[in-house]
Amino acid sequence: MHSRHSPRGCGPAAGGLLGSALGPLSRRSALGLLATAPLLVSRRAEAFGASSLQDIAELQLSRGTLSRPAAWARLLYELMEATSVEANPSSVLISPEDPQLFEHPFAVLIGEGALPPQSPAAIEQLRRYLSYGGFLVFDDASGSPDSAFAKSVRSLCSTLFPTRPMAPLPGDHSVFRAFFLLDAPVGRTARSSVLEGVTIGPITPIMYVANDLSGALDRGPDGRPKHAAVPGGEDQRREALKLGINLLMYALTSNYKHDQAHVAELLREGKLLDLRLPSAVRP
Amino acid sequence: MSWWLGGPVPADGALHFGAPTALLAVAAGLAVLCLVLMLAAVRTGRARWVELAFFAPAALLLALAVADPRLSSESGVEDAGRIVVLVDGSASMAVEEGGEPRAQAVDAQLAALSSLGPLEVYTFDEDLQPGAPAAYAGHASDLGVALSAVADRYLGEPLRGVVVLTDGIDRGALRRAVNEAAAEGRLSPALVPALPGPLSLVAVGTPRGLRDLAIEEVVSGGFAFLRTPVSLRARIRGAPGEEVPVRLAEGGRLVEEQSITLGEDGRGEAVFTLVPREVGRFAWELSVPLSDDDAVPGNNTHPVVLRVVRDRTRVLQVSGSPSTDQKFLRLLLKEDQSIDLVSFFILRSPGDVRAGWRGSELSLIEFPYERLFTDDLSSFDLVILQNFNYGPYFDSFAAEGLLQNIAEYVEKGGGLIMVGGSLSFDMGEYAGTPIARVLPVRLGLEGAKADETRFRPHLTAAGKAHPMTRLAGNPDETEAIWSGLPELDGLNLSLGPTEGAAVLLEHPLLKAGGAPMPVLSVAEVGEGRSAALMVDASWRWAFSEVAQGRGNQAYLRFWKGAMRWLVADPEDRRVVVVPSRENALVGEELRLTIRVRDASYGPQAEARVEGRVVAPSGAELPIDLLTNAAGEATLTLRPTEQGAHRVEVRGGPLAAERAETVFAVSARDPELSEITPDHAYLRTLAAIYGERGRFVEDGSVSDVLLDEGAVRRSPQRAELRLAKAPGLGLAFGLLFGLGLLLRRRLGAA
Repeated sequence: MHSRHSPRGCGPAAGGLLGSALGPLSRRSALGLLATAPLLVSRRAEAFGASSLQDIAELQLSRGTLSRPAAWARLLYELMEATSVEANPSSVLISPEDPQLFEHPFAVLIGEGALPPQSPAAIEQLRRYLSYGGFLVFDDASGSPDSAFAKSVRSLCSTLFPTRPMAPLPGDHSVFRAFFLLDAPVGRTARSSVLEGVTIGPITPIMYVANDLSGALDRGPDGRPKHAAVPGGEDQRREALKLGINLLMYALTSNYKHDQAHVAELLREGKLLDLRLPSAVRP
Repeated sequence: MSWWLGGPVPADGALHFGAPTALLAVAAGLAVLCLVLMLAAVRTGRARWVELAFFAPAALLLALAVADPRLSSESGVEDAGRIVVLVDGSASMAVEEGGEPRAQAVDAQLAALSSLGPLEVYTFDEDLQPGAPAAYAGHASDLGVALSAVADRYLGEPLRGVVVLTDGIDRGALRRAVNEAAAEGRLSPALVPALPGPLSLVAVGTPRGLRDLAIEEVVSGGFAFLRTPVSLRARIRGAPGEEVPVRLAEGGRLVEEQSITLGEDGRGEAVFTLVPREVGRFAWELSVPLSDDDAVPGNNTHPVVLRVVRDRTRVLQVSGSPSTDQKFLRLLLKEDQSIDLVSFFILRSPGDVRAGWRGSELSLIEFPYERLFTDDLSSFDLVILQNFNYGPYFDSFAAEGLLQNIAEYVEKGGGLIMVGGSLSFDMGEYAGTPIARVLPVRLGLEGAKADETRFRPHLTAAGKAHPMTRLAGNPDETEAIWSGLPELDGLNLSLGPTEGAAVLLEHPLLKAGGAPMPVLSVAEVGEGRSAALMVDASWRWAFSEVAQGRGNQAYLRFWKGAMRWLVADPEDRRVVVVPSRENALVGEELRLTIRVRDASYGPQAEARVEGRVVAPSGAELPIDLLTNAAGEATLTLRPTEQGAHRVEVRGGPLAAERAETVFAVSARDPELSEITPDHAYLRTLAAIYGERGRFVEDGSVSDVLLDEGAVRRSPQRAELRLAKAPGLGLAFGLLFGLGLLLRRRLGAA
C-alpha cells in the first residue's frame, strides 16, 4: 500500500510564501529561493530518472502514525536549494510490509501515541531495509521524549536490533555536521537536547527526534506554518530546517564528515602530502 | 695336543659352559636313566661292574659335550696413537693471496703430516666429514662443532695429536665465546671441548696485504608497501677511513650515488630511500668500485629484489552530488578492509550559494581538486568520478591540465571509472577533453544526452566472461542473475564504444552508430584501465535483491569485480608467477610457481604454461608446463649466474594472459664477509689448552704437538670349544664300543 503526495508548495511561489512566514531571517532565504528559481527548474530538467532523485517515504501503520507531506515537500525543496542534492520534493505513504519500501532509501515515521505491534513480516523487512542501506527517522509529534510514542519506538528498535539499543548520539556524530553545524536538534519543541539513534558499525540507520521535527516544517494550504515553534519561534524553526537537511544529508553521506575531520591526520601521515588546509574547515 | 682338543689352548683361559642350565640338567638326567636301564638288564654281578666301568664314563662324556664347555681368554695389542687432521673446507680458504688460493698450502701440509704417522683426515665446515676437501665452498665453518665431534668420536682413545689447518675465520659459536671471554679476561678450559690429544692450530694464509672492498649485506626486509618509503641499507666493509662511493642502479640505470667514509673498524653504511610507485617485484643493484687487487670480486655488487605490495587499495571517490547511488558505493567501499577510501562529495554547488545560508552555519571544506589531481593523483589505485562535472570547480585556466593529469594517470597504469548521472559524460561536458581520450565510450553528442526510459540492460557475450560482470561460476547462471535484476531509469547516451573497448552491458533498444547503446564498457588504455557505467542507479541492484529476501550479492560481486579488474593488481591477474624467494644465492634451489585462473578466476587445470627465465647474460631457460588440479605449475631451478633474473610466462586460453616477475641471485657468501685470517683467535684458542695446545703461525707442520706416549690398544679374544674336540668324540666312541663288546661277551641280554 503506497500513494504519492503531489509536491505541493514547491517552486518559486512557495518559496515566496516561505520567506514571508520566516520573518527577517527568512526574507533572505526567500530572496535566495527566488533568485535560484531558474536554476531549480534547470537542474530538475537535467535529472534523468526518478531513481536518482531524493524523496521521502512516510511509513504508515494501522494506527498511531501521522502523515505530513507538506513538511517533507518543504524540506526536500529546501534541500535542493541549499545543497547539490537532486531531489523530488514529494513523499509517498507506504506500509512497512510493502516491498516498494526498497524504492525509497529514506523513510520517516511520525507518531504521537503508542504504536501497534508489527507483524513478523514487517519486522523482517524493516530489519533488512535498515541493514542494507535504508534510513529511518522516527519523529515524535508529541514533542516529548517520554511519550508513549517514544516507548513504542524503543520497543520496536529493540525488536529490530536486540543487541543495538537506541542511545543518545554523541556530540561529534556526523549528523551534527552533515551540512550545517548544529547546536541542538530542535523541532516544533525543544524539550530534548539530544538526538537518539541505533548505531550499527560506523553508521546510524535509525534516528529518533523527540522535538517534533515535521511539526516545525509542516504548513497549511496557505503556505504558512501550521504549528508555532516553542519556545524559540522562527529562529527555532530555522534550526529545525537545518536539522532536517542534516538528516537527509547524513542519510546520503553517512560518516563522510568523519573522513573530513581526519584530513589533518591524513596530512600528518603523509597520505595527502602538503595538502593545504582549507580555511573553511571546522571541527 | 691341539689336534685332540680341536685348537690351541688359550693362555690363562677360563672354562665356562655355553649350554643353558636346563639343557644340562635334562642331559644329565637322560644319561643317568640310560645307565640305570642298561645295568638293570645285566644278569651277573661281574658283568654289571664291567659295564658300569665303560658306560658311566661314556655317559659322562656325552653330558659334557651337551654342556658345551669352552676355554676362553682375552688379550690385546698396542699401536702408536693416531693423528687426526681437521681441514677447514669453507669458502674463505679459497680467497686469493698473491694470485693463488689460500688453501693451496693445505696439500703440502697434509703430505708433510703423513710422514709423521697414520692420519685420519676430516673436512670441517658446519659439520665434520671424512676426507680432505674436494672444494673449498663451505658457507659456515664451525671449529667448535668439529672439535666436539672429534672428542666424541675418539672417546677413550688417546690421540697422538689433533691438527687443525684453518685460516681462523670461524663463523661458529666457539669463536664468539672465546673472543668475548678474552675481552673480559675470563678465559677458561670450560670454554672448549676436552680433546683426546694435544691440539695444534696450523695457520693457513696470512693476515697481511689483503684488500677486499665489499657490500657485506643489504637490509631491505624483502618487501615494501606501495607509495610508502622503504630503505635499502647497504653495509660496506673495506679499509678503515676509506671513502667509498656506493651506487644504486635499476635496470642498469643509475638511480642514486652516495659517498660514505668507513669507520675505524673498516665498516660503514649507505642508506637509500625508495618510494615504490608500482606493485610487483622489482630488482635493484648496489655496487662499490672493484679494484684489481680486490681479494673477493664477487662481493662488490649486491642485487636485491623487493616485492612491492599494496597495504590497501587506495580509491578516490569524487561525487558531484550526494545521491543514493553514491551512498551505496561508499558503504561498500568503506566496509572493505582492503580499501583505503578517500571521498570528496560536492555538497554545495556554486548555484546553491544563493540560497542565503551564512558560511558560518555550514560544515563545509574546500574541494582540494588541484592537489588531488596533481601530485596526489598517483597515490591512488583507482579514481571514481561519480556524477561529477569538473566545470564549476576546476579553475578554467587549470582545468585542461588537471584533466590531462587524469588521462596520463590512466595511461601510466591507473584505474578510472566514470559513473553516470546528470553531471557525467556529455552532460558533464567531458567531450573533447583529455578525459574523453581514456574513456571507453565516444562523447560529443548533439541533442539529447540522456534517456529516462526504464530499461533492463542486456549482458553481452563479452560480459558473460568478463570478471567485472561475471556474477556466477558459469555464463548461463551469470546471464540469469543479470536478467533478474531490476530495471534502471536513466542512461547517459554516447556515440558508442571507442576502438578496442569491450561492451559488457548494452541497452535493449537504443542504438549508437547502428549498434546497441553501451551501458557498461571497459578498455585497457596504455598501462591502465578505464570503465564507463552510463547509469546512476546501480544501487537498485543491491536493494532489489534485499527486497526479495536475498543478500546484495550481485551488487557486491559486480563492484568488487570492477575494482579488481580496474586496479589490475599483478597478484590478481589470471596468470601469476611467484618465486619462492626474491633473493637467492648462486646454486640455491629456487621454485617458480605459476598459477592460472579461468575467466571466473577459478583454478584452471591442465593449462599449458610457456615462457622463459632470462639470466643476466641473456641465457634462457625455457618453461613448458601443464597446471595441476589446483591450477598451479612449478619449476625448480638452481641459478648459476649472479644478478637479476627475469621470468616471463604466458598461459590460459590461447596463451593470451602473460605474467612477469624477477628474482635476484647473489654470489655473495656470508663466509666471505670476512677474509682476513684471524691469527689472534687461533692463538688464544691454543692458549686455552695450555701445554696441550699450540698455535703454528708459520704453517709449518713440523712444529705440531704430538703425544708420543699415546697408544692405541686393540683387543683380541681366543676361545676353544671342547665339545667339538676330536679327542672327546674318540673317547666316547671307544668307551661306548668297548662297553657294548664286553656286555655281549659276558652274556648280557
